[in-house]
Amino acid sequence: MKAIAMMVAMLVKDPRMLALIVLVTLVYGGLYLWLNGDISGGGTGGWQAAFPAWERAFEARGPFQFEPVGLIQVGTLVWTFSPLNTLLALMMGGLLGLAVAAGLKVWKAPRQCGLSASGAGTLAGIPALLAGGACCAPLVLIWLGLPIAGTVASISPLLVPLALVILLVVLWRLAKSLTSSTS
Amino acid sequence: MHSRRILVALATLLLASPRVGAGLPTADPPEMPVAHSLAAFRQALQSGGPGKDGIPSIDSPRFQSAVAAEDVLEDNDKVIGLYADGEARAYPQRILVWHEIVNDEVGGKAISVTYCPLTGTALGFERGDTQLGVSGKLVNSNLVMYDHATDSEWPQILGVAIDGPLAGHGLEEFRVFWTTWGAWKARHPDTRVLTEQTGYVRNYQRDPYGSYNPRGGYYLPQSSRLFPVMAGSDRFPPKTEIFGFRTEEGAAAITRDALREETVVEMPLGDSHYTVVHDAGLDTGWVFHNPRRAEVSIDGLRFGPEGVTGAGLEEFERVNAFEAMWFAWTAFYPDTRVYTGEGMP
Repeated sequence: MKAIAMMVAMLVKDPRMLALIVLVTLVYGGLYLWLNGDISGGGTGGWQAAFPAWERAFEARGPFQFEPVGLIQVGTLVWTFSPLNTLLALMMGGLLGLAVAAGLKVWKAPRQCGLSASGAGTLAGIPALLAGGACCAPLVLIWLGLPIAGTVASISPLLVPLALVILLVVLWRLAKSLTSSTS
Repeated sequence: MHSRRILVALATLLLASPRVGAGLPTADPPEMPVAHSLAAFRQALQSGGPGKDGIPSIDSPRFQSAVAAEDVLEDNDKVIGLYADGEARAYPQRILVWHEIVNDEVGGKAISVTYCPLTGTALGFERGDTQLGVSGKLVNSNLVMYDHATDSEWPQILGVAIDGPLAGHGLEEFRVFWTTWGAWKARHPDTRVLTEQTGYVRNYQRDPYGSYNPRGGYYLPQSSRLFPVMAGSDRFPPKTEIFGFRTEEGAAAITRDALREETVVEMPLGDSHYTVVHDAGLDTGWVFHNPRRAEVSIDGLRFGPEGVTGAGLEEFERVNAFEAMWFAWTAFYPDTRVYTGEGMP
């Protein structure tokens, strides 16, 4: 854990790495919220925001999926805002951003051992994306026309924890190789 | 001896249908067929993704006038209509797709209006002193409801509990109409319409599965189903909408085209006989038990707020019926009779 903390401190000191981490966090977070249905189309133009259901902030709709408390509309985009879903999306995105930045740093370093860990870091985000898609609206499966929603739904409770564990393991490996390459 | 007879008579009365199961009006035995064993249904249960009540029922529905609803509904938008005791209500499909169950009260009677987007089925049930909720499980892609009183589990199309204290009992159904907003308001200009003030935040402008206006995504007839089924048939594309009814003697389905073209369809089922009449105004059907096979002509029929009258239909018993996607109907009723318009089935 100490190695990861040291790596994070080192990465955020570099403005380019910090920008990369923020970019990955936002892109992944947005993708996660889009796949779990919190962000979608259907807006009628203009913008509006209303937050009528703060009391539902901690109500679960499914595994790692929480009730929205408000609705934000910008143009055709509609965001049914859940603080906990957003926090989860940003946390996963942040970990993935760190893994990508650290992977890049290791790849640029003389030793090559971090290359596979960097790839694994990027792949680690996929289970969480599937978890988002599997929960309420199996959008991707409808598009693909696959009758496997039952299978995805049955494993969906495991997907977010799985993604978290993979990301932490990858970060730990990258932190170790980064500290050894810089020492 | 005398008191024993009274006890036996009381027991017989208690066992006679319909009866109330912990506040929920039920019939035992159920008035509809159960083609698979309850154990087979339980084995076929699947998680749909959201947890129990993850798709929240609407328990305090609010309504607006038809005039106010004009701002949010287009004529071709799908609604589920209900008419009882002089009151008409419309439940927009784009709201129910997010909630699936509305626990409502009409004319002093507690009812649940239920809709399953994955099977395209809308059914009404009496709920007595309790409420129905969404279990988060599916069977044959169909919504599995639970009742708050006993936690028994009820697949919507089956209308019979497959698990819990009321397993084997049937719910009491009433007719609701799968139609369009334009058709419903023409039939019931004074209808009240469910509003988006559901107590939950959802994007009611968007259907997560596709669209009915125009038809797209999951609702296209040839598109694939998402979950496994207990029995399959390739006779029609999976999402083809059929009009079906069932009795203790079995199930029967009529293609929408056959019903529209022939307007009156005679359907033998088991040892009995049924007459199905097309209602052009709502583009749906009405089913009547017609054991003496009395001739019914569409010309003598009148369609109004109370339903269809004329040609002596008042004397016939009305049978509940509903539209469904073919794959789901045949999964629940693999031995269903099917009428496609080629004459007597």
